[in-house]
Amino acid sequence: MGQDKLFPAQNAELPGAFENITLKENHAVEILAIAVFFLLVTPLLSVHRVTDFMIFCIFAMSFDMLYGYMGRLSFGQMLYLGTGAYGCGLFIKYINGNPLLAIFAGVAFAGLLAMLLGLIIVRTTGACFALINLAFNHIGFFLVLSPLRSITRGEDGFGVSASQIGSLNFGSRPIMYGAVFLSLLLVFYFLRRLTSAPYGIMIRSIKEDETRVRFLGYNTFLYKWLTFALAGTIAGLAGALTALNYNYVNPNAMDVHSNVGVVFACLIGGAGNLYGAILGGVIYMLISNFLAIYIYRWEMFLGFSLLIIVFRFRMGVWGYIQRFWVHKLIPRFTKKEAI
Amino acid sequence: MHYTIFYGLTIGAILYFISIGLSLTFGTMRVINFAHTITYTIGVYILITFVIFFKWSFPVGAVLAILAIIPIAYVIERFIIRRLYGDSLDYTFIATFAVALIGVDLIKWIWGPAPYPLSDPIGKYLILFDVSLPIYRVLMVISAILLFILLHLFFKMTIVGKIIIAALDDKDGVRCLGINVDKYFSLVFVMGSALAVLGGIFYAPISSIHPYMGLAILLLCFAVVIVGGMGNLKGTFLSAFALGMLMALTARYWPQGAETMVFIAMAVVLIFRPIDI
Repeated sequence: MGQDKLFPAQNAELPGAFENITLKENHAVEILAIAVFFLLVTPLLSVHRVTDFMIFCIFAMSFDMLYGYMGRLSFGQMLYLGTGAYGCGLFIKYINGNPLLAIFAGVAFAGLLAMLLGLIIVRTTGACFALINLAFNHIGFFLVLSPLRSITRGEDGFGVSASQIGSLNFGSRPIMYGAVFLSLLLVFYFLRRLTSAPYGIMIRSIKEDETRVRFLGYNTFLYKWLTFALAGTIAGLAGALTALNYNYVNPNAMDVHSNVGVVFACLIGGAGNLYGAILGGVIYMLISNFLAIYIYRWEMFLGFSLLIIVFRFRMGVWGYIQRFWVHKLIPRFTKKEAI
Repeated sequence: MHYTIFYGLTIGAILYFISIGLSLTFGTMRVINFAHTITYTIGVYILITFVIFFKWSFPVGAVLAILAIIPIAYVIERFIIRRLYGDSLDYTFIATFAVALIGVDLIKWIWGPAPYPLSDPIGKYLILFDVSLPIYRVLMVISAILLFILLHLFFKMTIVGKIIIAALDDKDGVRCLGINVDKYFSLVFVMGSALAVLGGIFYAPISSIHPYMGLAILLLCFAVVIVGGMGNLKGTFLSAFALGMLMALTARYWPQGAETMVFIAMAVVLIFRPIDI
């Protein structure tokens, strides 16, 4: 067990605590780094795969806001992804073919649902939070599958073909790639700003000890609700982009069992950090895209790696990179300055 | 309508068998155990190994399956669950889910992913008020009620049961008396798993046997445990039968909605009586 077991609180604090030391207001550099990373990866994989990866990274970031930053494990984040996808798809199908409006509709749909359900869900914590999310996800999945069959076409799903506005055709891969790329950077910038602002410190304090924050006179409910709504909205964006990317929406977009993927991604990358979410998203997608071809016992592999993460590797990949940075590299620089 | 009520009782009985272990594990160890139903699935597969492949009789296979699950449950408890005591709930969730994933894949590896059919081992009917009820299902309901009484006696009369009940209330208090609580927790875990296998054995002939059968019923059992109150034995009994009845009634009028109705009930309960963990 070692250190992880002995000092759980300290380790949980690590990523958050050191963030303020290592990274100051260099958002432009960070965004550039992420942009360069994805642009470099593109020729290695393929435009279409990287588009997928980036959408998943957006989703992972939304989940990380909830789990990594606020410490609320949700087993139902797929509900908002699915709502975004259905919102976008249904808007195109029944109302207007404009893809930008459709993305907006999907995001608004998911956001509104998250705001509404957030009022109830956010009151709970721990296992209760995870399970109530799971219950709502299940209800959403069922609604799409059966009672709303006349609109959503049930299991079969429906095709989504967005119309072209000017030269902006979401059917073409490079444009889809560009749109997802831009949204990833925008979401990252937005969340980065938000989490380094007092708001970010507030939700991290709620993760550590909510009662104390309340004693200090803050309205924790408001912050929790805001974070929940925000996470839902961003998941909705990921969902709307998924719908446009595949030109197709079916209930799999809301599948309860897919929640494991995002939890795994967040943990392996390092929860409580946006880089961790992005890195974890990429690693998860790489594993599920490529390793599944070579390793037949894919679920077993996922299970064993989750166990290893829980027992030995709680900081995730990014946590280790950060620890190395803080313990090895920074002392080297500061020592020189001190002398 | 008679049938509906009767089927509700059957579903309730199965839910009770499986949820009792979940409820006890949660109450004593504060571990939300996703791995619970994996022992149930493995037990059922051991049963069909004996019954279908070795052609042994059903009761023998059932007893052997329950005996075979005891060491497996102990290993899971000793090496996974025990390491998670007092840990944050998220990690217990994820670790036990990982165990469930491994178990499902192991089953697919050994027995293959295709579902197995298993026929009703008794196959006779009981005619009661001009309704014919399969004796097997009647037996199921009766044994659930018997189990409830037995468990009640066990927890009220025996010293082991009393220690477990005390540990449900205050683990540290019991430990202060010099009792090795971990040992009793292993016992609780193994007992819960064995009861789940018993439920699985009852359930197997009236449903299909496939590697994901555990995960499918697990969510329902979570709902039962939450509605009944975590670690509350009487509550689990009542809520299992209430939710079973709810499922049967919904299925009568709206077949697709049966499972979702349970989750709606669970959401309502969580909204009005949230558990603080």
